[in-house]
Parts: sequence; C-alpha cells; structure tokens
Amino acid sequence: MRLLLVGMNHESASVEVREQFAVDDPALILDKLVASEEVGEAVVVSTCNRVELCVTTPHVESAQHRLLNFFAGEEASTYVHVGRDAATHVLRVASSIDSMVVGEPQILGQMKDAYRAAVEQGACGPVLSRLFQRAFSTAKRVKNETGIAQKPVSVARVAVDLARQTFERFDDKTALLIGAGEMIELALVALQREGLEQVRIANRTVANADALAARFGATSHGLDELPDLLADADVVLTSTGGDRPLINAADVEQALGRRRRRPLFFIDIGVPRNVDPAVDELDNIFLYDVDDLQMVSNRNAEKRKNEARRAEGIVQEEEQRFDGWLVALEAVPTIRHLREGAEDMRRSEFERAISRLSGEPSDEERRILEHMTKSIVNKLLHAPVARLRAETDREEGMAMREAARALFGLDDLDTNDDKGEVDE
Amino acid sequence: MIELYQIAAALYLAAGIGSLLGLLLPSPKMSRGGAWGLAVAAVVHSAAFASLHTMNPPPPLTDLVLVLSLAAWMSVLALLALMWWLRLPGLAAAVGPFAFLSVFVTALQLPDAGPARAGATGILPHAHVILGAGSLALLGLAGVAGGFFLLEHRRLKSKRSLRIAWSLPSLEALDNVNAVSLSVGFVLLSLGMLTGMAWREKVMGAFWAGGSHELWMVVVWLLYAGLVSLRFLGEQGARQSAASAVAGFAFLLFAVVGVGMWA
Repeated sequence: MRLLLVGMNHESASVEVREQFAVDDPALILDKLVASEEVGEAVVVSTCNRVELCVTTPHVESAQHRLLNFFAGEEASTYVHVGRDAATHVLRVASSIDSMVVGEPQILGQMKDAYRAAVEQGACGPVLSRLFQRAFSTAKRVKNETGIAQKPVSVARVAVDLARQTFERFDDKTALLIGAGEMIELALVALQREGLEQVRIANRTVANADALAARFGATSHGLDELPDLLADADVVLTSTGGDRPLINAADVEQALGRRRRRPLFFIDIGVPRNVDPAVDELDNIFLYDVDDLQMVSNRNAEKRKNEARRAEGIVQEEEQRFDGWLVALEAVPTIRHLREGAEDMRRSEFERAISRLSGEPSDEERRILEHMTKSIVNKLLHAPVARLRAETDREEGMAMREAARALFGLDDLDTNDDKGEVDE
Repeated sequence: MIELYQIAAALYLAAGIGSLLGLLLPSPKMSRGGAWGLAVAAVVHSAAFASLHTMNPPPPLTDLVLVLSLAAWMSVLALLALMWWLRLPGLAAAVGPFAFLSVFVTALQLPDAGPARAGATGILPHAHVILGAGSLALLGLAGVAGGFFLLEHRRLKSKRSLRIAWSLPSLEALDNVNAVSLSVGFVLLSLGMLTGMAWREKVMGAFWAGGSHELWMVVVWLLYAGLVSLRFLGEQGARQSAASAVAGFAFLLFAVVGVGMWA
C-alpha cells in the first residue's frame, strides 16, 4: 500500500484554474474514491489556495490516472507526489511551509477539517490517520520550535496593509463582509483594530449573517441587499461559495455612480472567486484575489526563508518517523503469517504428542501442555516479531521482512493481499 | 542676501534628495529627515525674503523670478501644514527639487535694487503677486499630489509588492491634498485675477487690456473653474481628478512661466 497525492496549489495553477476544481462538499468525492479498486483510504483538502487528493493505493499508476481524471483538462497544472514525497508534502502543507503566506495559521485548521470530513465519511484508515496526526504534531513542533509563526504576516495582515494604501483612516469607513471563513474574519478583526467601526455582514442565509453580526457588532443583511450595501461600503471582504461570481462589473459600476466614484477596495478570497475579475478594470476599484495577495506578500516569504529552512528540518525528521511506522506497518502481514504458521505447527505437534501418550491426559494436563507449547512459540517468535515491528528505515525494514520470509519459509506471502485488514 | 538664497537652495536640494532616498530605499528616517530639511530650508528662505527689504529700494515683487521663489516658499509651507494633518511621506521628494530650482534661479538672477515699475507699489500689486504665487503654489501641490496619486493607483492596480508601500501616502490622503489644494488654489487664483484687474484699472484706467498674460490667465481660470466644478459635483472620480490636476498645473506653468518668459 503506497501513498499518492495529486493536487494543484497557488504555485502550480492560477485561481482561474483552481476555482474550477474547488470542492465544497468532499463527501461525494470521498465515497467515489474509496469505492474504487485502486484506492484504499482518501482525504480531500480543498482551500482557497489548493485542491489536493491524498490516497493510499496498492496500484500507483492506475490510482494516479483516476486522480488525474478529477483534474481533467488541467493536468498540466497539477503535481503528483508518491510515497515518501507525498508524506513530506502533507507535513509541509500542515506546517504552512507550502502556504501562500508562509507561517499563516489557517491552513492547519483547514487540514483538520479535511481530515475530520474523511473520518466521518469512513474514508480515512490507519495510514492516512497516522499521516494526518503526524502532520498536526509536526505543525505544532514547527510553530513552537521555529519563528515561522511569530508575528505572522497573514492574509489578513496583507489585506489590511493594502487597504491602508487606499485609505488614510478607517474610523469613517464601512466594511462589507460577504460570506464567512476564518481568514476573512481575521481580516475584519485586523481592520477593526485599525479603527474600522461600521461593519455590514451579508450572507445567503440571514441567520448566519445574524450570528456573525452579533460577534462583530455589525448589521446583518441578505444578498438581495448587495446593490445598496456596495454603494455604502469602502472595503468589501468576500469569501463565500458558489459557481458564479456574486458581484459583477455592472453592479460595481452602478455602485460607483451612487457613491460619487469614491474608491472601493475588494479582498476576494473565495475560490471560485466571488467578484468578477472584470471589476478590476474599473477606475477607483482595487480588487485583490488570493493570487494577488500572494504576489504582494512575497516579501514575507523572503523574510521567513531562514525559519522555513529550520521548519523543513523538522518536517524531514517527522517524515522519517512516519515512514518508520509505515515500514513497521508493512511488516504486519509478515508477522501475521509467521504467527499463523507457527501456531499451525504448534497445534499439529501438540496433537501428535497427545496421540503418542499411553493414556488420555486430563483436561488440566492438556491445558498445561497447551500453555507450555504456546509459551515456547511466543518466546521463540518474540525477538523476530519485535524486530519486524520496530520503526526503522525503509531499506532495513524490507531486508528484515525478506529475511523473515526466507528463514521461516514465508516466500509465498503477498503483502498486498491484506488491504483493509491491517491494524495500526 | 544672495548667500541666504544659496543656503536655502542647498537645503531644499538636500531635503529633496533625502526624501527621494527615503522613498526608494525605503527608509523612514530618511523621509522624516527630508521633511525636517524642508522645514529648515523654508525658515532660511523666509529670512532671504526678509533680507530683500534691507535693499533700498527693494527689488520689484512683480519680477517673475521672485514670484516663482515666493510660490516655491508657499508650496513648502502648505505641504508642511498638510503634513500635520495627513500622513504624506514622499511628497517632499517632489516639492523639494521644485523649491530648489526656483530658489537657485533666484540666487543666480536676483533682480537689482531699483525703482519699482510705475504703479507697482502699494497693496494691490502686492496682493496680486502674493495671491497669484499662492495659487501657483497650491495648484502646483494639487498637481504633485495628482501625480503621486496616479503612480500609487497604477502600483496598486498592478499588484506589486508592498515593499515601498509605507513610504507612499495613501490614495485617500493624496486625494484630500488634491481637493484642498485645488479648492483653496482656485479661490486664490480668482482673487489674484480680481486684484490684478483692480490694479490695472488703478494704473491704466481699464480692467482689461487684452495682453497675453491676461488672456492666458483667463483661459487658466476657465480651465480650473471647469475642473473644480467636475471635482465637487462628483462627476469625476479620484483618478480623473488627479489626472486633471496634473494637466491643469502643466497648463498653469506654461501660462505663467512660458508666456511670462516669452513676453
């Protein structure tokens, strides 16, 4: 069983491409994936910066073909990681080394959500569970042991810095938040820290808007009020679902007329995008989507290069530990066959010995003999089994399994016939 | 007296270079140093103006070189006043060199002391020159703010790095400078024209003589009247207002300096 990851992110594909493959509800895709012969376990990670399918598979080539089908038409914008590379990638993503804004904390929560969704869907087995748990602990180590997350220049910070280049002050400005999400809410909090007082929250479900409005001291609105809201707003933060843009150039042109052409600043971190890119062509309109935010935050990546190098060291270390566990996991079928063979042998020798006795042994004598033979077998197998189970490097583990098969006559063992039967 | 002008010119140049370096490096200390340099230069420049009155009789205030020097001084004072109100890093990098050029030319061509032109004494000619120089200074500041606005607008649209962002004023601050400078500058321009006409009427008995300066200034006034109307009736967005302020100031410079030199 091998790890396979196919995906696209902010570096391999533009937001125009990524938004075509954004996954709102992963349940359907997870069901389809695990129902296929090629896939054992699966997790789908879909954020504004990446869409990734991570699976375990006994047949890498056919599974890869299946996963690439998901990105049909944009295969050139994808990347494929197999085995240890896939594990390393997952650890890097969770640690925010691979993020658009290196060190931003939101990705960890998004990875946890993706993992939880896979567990609830029954798509996550022992291997991916272990990998994601390892990824979460790696992220924690990276956060605690490096400066990568100190004074994080998050998307929220970049958004506020950009807004400050447009507006001199915020206490007389109005922000409009469309949708919800951790990043967009952090941006709003950062703007409120800069003095922003007037906040309007619009949502498809007004009840959701009400809940958010209560948190931010804002007013809540339905999406049908957008034309009026746009005319009053100075900063618009959007992060909501939907296949088509929620705001188009005509809406904004109309709002501009009503607001006497005062500048309007959009931060759109929705994928698919909530604001039509044509809006950016209008004068006095500044529209930043997730890719634009990456462009302006490149400096952040430069400053964090040294910390990121240290973080990469931690990721490598943790990946080795995971791989050691995976090697040990691969020994489980060998160990089981070894035990089954030994048990068969013990049982047949036990029965033969009993049949040679002059009289029928009592139940007590039988129990004592059985216990003795089992103890001998267990003690004989203890050392080789412990060695096979040890979390070691891949080559040593393979050598150990081959030696066990040869020494104990398990050559016909097929380690791949135990899909779904191994225990962690 | 010449020395004071030379010192002021050197200080304006240093302030302009400091502000420019502060903008490009970017360095907040350099930017702040540039602003302080501009303030010191303005003080020396004031002393240079005061020293003109030690000449007997003082040189005529209506001399173009002195008008430009006065306009430069007023633009620096206006900028320093606006910097108390708004965060305006970077603007000194444009105003400093302009002030340097004006004062440098004054130091080279300081008019000799001599009898003033007939009728060029008294309140009306002084008021005309001061109001005219004030309008040149403020409309010039509106043009500079407009130029910075266009640069910053373009930079924000092109989604470039935030590396030098902090060293530039916000679009809103630049637009505020543009609005204030344009409105006050237009009022000064109007008053300057009225005092000029009154002066002419007093000296020559007619409000209008149809000279090239008068003609061009009427065109300038009409142009700015149109820009101010568009700006404050909400027909123009901030970017269009900025572009108009740049074009208007270029036309004003031509009408005052170009036509003045040609005449």
